[in-house]
Amino acid sequence: MLLRLKGLARMMVLVFAALLAAFVFGWLEKRTAAIGLLALAFVIAVGLFLWEVYSPQYGFDMPWIEVQREAPHPATAAG
Amino acid sequence: MRVAREQSLLAFGNYTYQLLILTTFAGILTAAMVLQYAQGELPCPLCLLQRAAMFGICFGIMRDFRGSFSYRNVGLSLLNAVFLLVVSVRQSLLDIYLRPGHAYVGSAVFGIHMPVWSVIISAMLLMAYALQLAVLGGDRNLPNVPASAFPQLKRVGEAVSLYVMALLAINLVSVLLQCGFGQCHTFGYALLHG
Repeated sequence: MLLRLKGLARMMVLVFAALLAAFVFGWLEKRTAAIGLLALAFVIAVGLFLWEVYSPQYGFDMPWIEVQREAPHPATAAG
Repeated sequence: MRVAREQSLLAFGNYTYQLLILTTFAGILTAAMVLQYAQGELPCPLCLLQRAAMFGICFGIMRDFRGSFSYRNVGLSLLNAVFLLVVSVRQSLLDIYLRPGHAYVGSAVFGIHMPVWSVIISAMLLMAYALQLAVLGGDRNLPNVPASAFPQLKRVGEAVSLYVMALLAINLVSVLLQCGFGQCHTFGYALLHG
């Protein structure tokens, strides 16, 4: 069940389908349904984003932009 | 009498401002689709999420033109603008350092790649809303003036909203063809290649 839900959450098509439904309900001035569907699209989109940027190797880190100071600059070290 | 006239002028300016933002996003989304279909540049998953955020921004403005202006609608657009900023900054950082298998996707427009454009666009939108709040200062009477008080503006706003909805429908079909009911890839349209 959980795996199925996880699979569903990876579906980009769900984000766009929920968004289109939100627009249609918004156009028809069905406020609650429109906001509910927009919220659903937003939650799936946030989940998809986190899933896309997560790496089993690095997690959410971005080691390729991490910098390390090799040695203190003489002027800095002297204060 | 003078107060009512000033109020009406303020509401007119506000709806015009919203229309300007909506039209800008309709143009950006159209450009993205032209790049996709005319130049064969398939959008990456994060690019699609940025498109979704842009549609979310348009949703708040569309609701303004269907009824009357509301700060709740501004909130919805701002929420999506922040999401657009987060996704685009992360994508820019993902490819900021050249390494195997990582480069900015798609062609550069005026020398700037798509995720960086998204950062600029979302920052500009946040600034536009900040400017709006700075000028209007959360005017309490604005929601009392419906869009129908300016029939021509409402008609144009609704026409642009319908255009955005049509773009969204095309995007839905396109995403279905590209990703099917699973993970998105940029190799091709998954459903068209069996």
